[in-house]
Amino acid sequence: MAAELTSTKLNAENHLLLDQPLLRLPHELARKNFKSVQRVVEREREYVLPSLKAAAGASLCNGQTPDQTLAALDAMISRMQGLKRKMENLHQEEKRLHNQSKKRIQHLENLHQIHSLADVKYDQWSRVRLDRLVADYMLRSGYTESARQLAHEKDIGDLVDLNVFIQCQRVAESLRRGESKDALQWCNENKAALKKSQHNLEFELRLQQYIEMVRTRDKGKLVEAMAYAKRFLSPYIESQSTEIHRAAGLLAFPQDTIAEPYKSMYALDRWSYLSDLFVQTHHELLSLPSRPLLHIALSAGLSALKTPSCHSAYTSSSSNSLSTTTSVCPICSTELHELARNMPYAHHTKSYVESDPIVLPNGRIYGQRRLLEMSKKVGCVEVGKVKDPTTGEVFEENELKKVYIM
Amino acid sequence: MELVQKEHERLSKKIKASQGIKNVQTTIDLLQSARDAIAADPSQTSITLAKLQNSVKSSFDSINDSLKETHSSLNKYSKALDKLFKDRPLPNTEHDALSSQEHLINRAIAMHLLREGQFSVAATFLSEMAEKKATESQQQPGTSASENAATLLDIDDVPSNEVRKQFATMYYILHEMKENNNLLPAIQWSRDNREALEARGSNLEFELCRLQFVWLFHGGPDRQGSIPTGQQEALEYARREFQTFLPRYLREVQQLMGAMAFCPNLQDSPYRAIFNNPSAWEDVAHSFTREFCSLLGLSADSPLYVAATAGAIALPTLLKLQTIMKAKRTEWTTDNELPVEIPLPPSYLFHSIFVCPVSKEQTTDENPPMMMPCGHVIAEESLKRLCKGSRFKCPYCPNESHPREARKVFL
Repeated sequence: MAAELTSTKLNAENHLLLDQPLLRLPHELARKNFKSVQRVVEREREYVLPSLKAAAGASLCNGQTPDQTLAALDAMISRMQGLKRKMENLHQEEKRLHNQSKKRIQHLENLHQIHSLADVKYDQWSRVRLDRLVADYMLRSGYTESARQLAHEKDIGDLVDLNVFIQCQRVAESLRRGESKDALQWCNENKAALKKSQHNLEFELRLQQYIEMVRTRDKGKLVEAMAYAKRFLSPYIESQSTEIHRAAGLLAFPQDTIAEPYKSMYALDRWSYLSDLFVQTHHELLSLPSRPLLHIALSAGLSALKTPSCHSAYTSSSSNSLSTTTSVCPICSTELHELARNMPYAHHTKSYVESDPIVLPNGRIYGQRRLLEMSKKVGCVEVGKVKDPTTGEVFEENELKKVYIM
Repeated sequence: MELVQKEHERLSKKIKASQGIKNVQTTIDLLQSARDAIAADPSQTSITLAKLQNSVKSSFDSINDSLKETHSSLNKYSKALDKLFKDRPLPNTEHDALSSQEHLINRAIAMHLLREGQFSVAATFLSEMAEKKATESQQQPGTSASENAATLLDIDDVPSNEVRKQFATMYYILHEMKENNNLLPAIQWSRDNREALEARGSNLEFELCRLQFVWLFHGGPDRQGSIPTGQQEALEYARREFQTFLPRYLREVQQLMGAMAFCPNLQDSPYRAIFNNPSAWEDVAHSFTREFCSLLGLSADSPLYVAATAGAIALPTLLKLQTIMKAKRTEWTTDNELPVEIPLPPSYLFHSIFVCPVSKEQTTDENPPMMMPCGHVIAEESLKRLCKGSRFKCPYCPNESHPREARKVFL
């Protein structure tokens, strides 16, 4: 048995591959939150300071009655109170996010205290991780209620990002229904960050709105569409010139045209394309991987566990549900069997068999000690005979033959 | 990790100490007092306002200062995170073989939830799945109504009610066993499945009955019960139930009976292992779970758990491979085998693995292991290549044999 094949050493730093989003996401949210704080403060500063100056200037040259001054001051006070309220809310949010980060860091830190994969603690930790992965998968696929329940029952509320995904799903859902209001609002909230994005979500949304206006073929609407294009599409002329030219061309074609690309521009499944694009952009902005973490973990895991015997036409002697001395291989178990069918199997450079292999007359190889023990347990076999646990055949003990496996 | 922790602590401290809101409040107070002053004495307006300008400006400045501090700690924390996850991008997501098999993943998750005993979550999950399916098929105008009904009832996708019931039974039995020390449901189950269990060579039924005997012996439901009555009951139980076990477990039954003689001081008797085994209940529960799952053709530990954990263990290696392949611009040509060996702990090896010592390849259905008369095993392809149709010498011992004599073996 190769030493490296059965290593149980746990390198925590390397092990955290799957857990990156766990810390990244709350951090991105905290940064966003911080930016809103900055923005509201800046807005009020730009209002209060000039108006104060104006009031002072006016009172100097006696252009203002005291009542006017008082009114101006009152307006400032109420705006500042508004600011205070907003800041308090944002501060609450900030605190919540940081507490969440703290718990997550603690969770990951726990892994660093474990040094062996064989440790029971690793088992527990890994189970929590699986719950997280499953919840993540559910949220991404839109099974929100299940994810909420799972998080609640397993008490991992701080380790999964329910709200983020719920909001994302809501917007994606509205796009699929053909409404772009929510998505545009989201774009507005994340304007600065979207500039760095590789996707052109906002442009695509605006284009869709334009298409919807043209679709009606109503005179008034067409004029409106042109104005809309001038206002919202033309700023993108440098990067999206072909698209914009096409959009202009669209004016000449009715909805039931067969001419490409106008036909596909009118197509209704552009909405689901937009919905997917939104989800992609959203995940990119929050440093979330584009596919579920469970997929990543599973595809690696299935391959690592899979052996040629798993989908073999012959029952494996070493692992099947017919004998007590073996445990059923997870790949052979019903849940994952089909899923693993197209996966590559693990690479091995050394054979791994029991230390005392013998072969039965029917060609099945077992560990001798295990086979004898098993035959004794079955009980209904006479002394000096053994029973093949897989096929149920009974053989004389002297029919066993030593086999050499290198 | 320590760096991240430290930076985060610093950041939290900064946020707690943040003066922002307090500064806003001071500004409000300033404005308010100026307003009061002007209201009281309108002649002072210009002076008050002039003074006010400066102080309001400075308080805004201090708000910004505190924001800047927060900003710098946020950035430091970002850097710590970057450092922690540097060189550790997620594996590339170009070809995701699993995304096309969503229903299989859903099924695996549903079964995982059931076997973990999360019945309510599983129920919600299944109903949400059905809901989604219904809306999806509505959106596709091509499918007819009868087809919709068929897909909804598709038992291939969703674990059937039968499986769900089975797991509910399992949890009921385990609950009774662990919480109420009630072995009877488990014994009943093992009797119902006696044949299948015996074929597997399992002695679960006897183990359960023996534990029941020991439990009665110790006084049964009320542990304070006097030893003699407990003994009496245990003896009666043995007379009633152990008859069937006699042919197979004669020795064990004799041991139990023999222990009666040592009753007052079992502690010093050779039988104390049977009667004072603190982990007995857990052992029995464990083997019960295993047998139960095996009879359903399922592995004892949740496959989803094992696979996800194995995946997490395998990922660093696969990632390294990916970087190397990118750097050397090589590609792995065989689709059906991973290019590297993944170091998994021994408990994650379930099948025997045979690697042909000649070709260094794993044997498959198409290329099965063959045993030569001398007992050495090589892969069929290697055998053909070695013998070229005539007698040949075993590569590992002096024996000569004919390829006809080689026999296919099953590992």
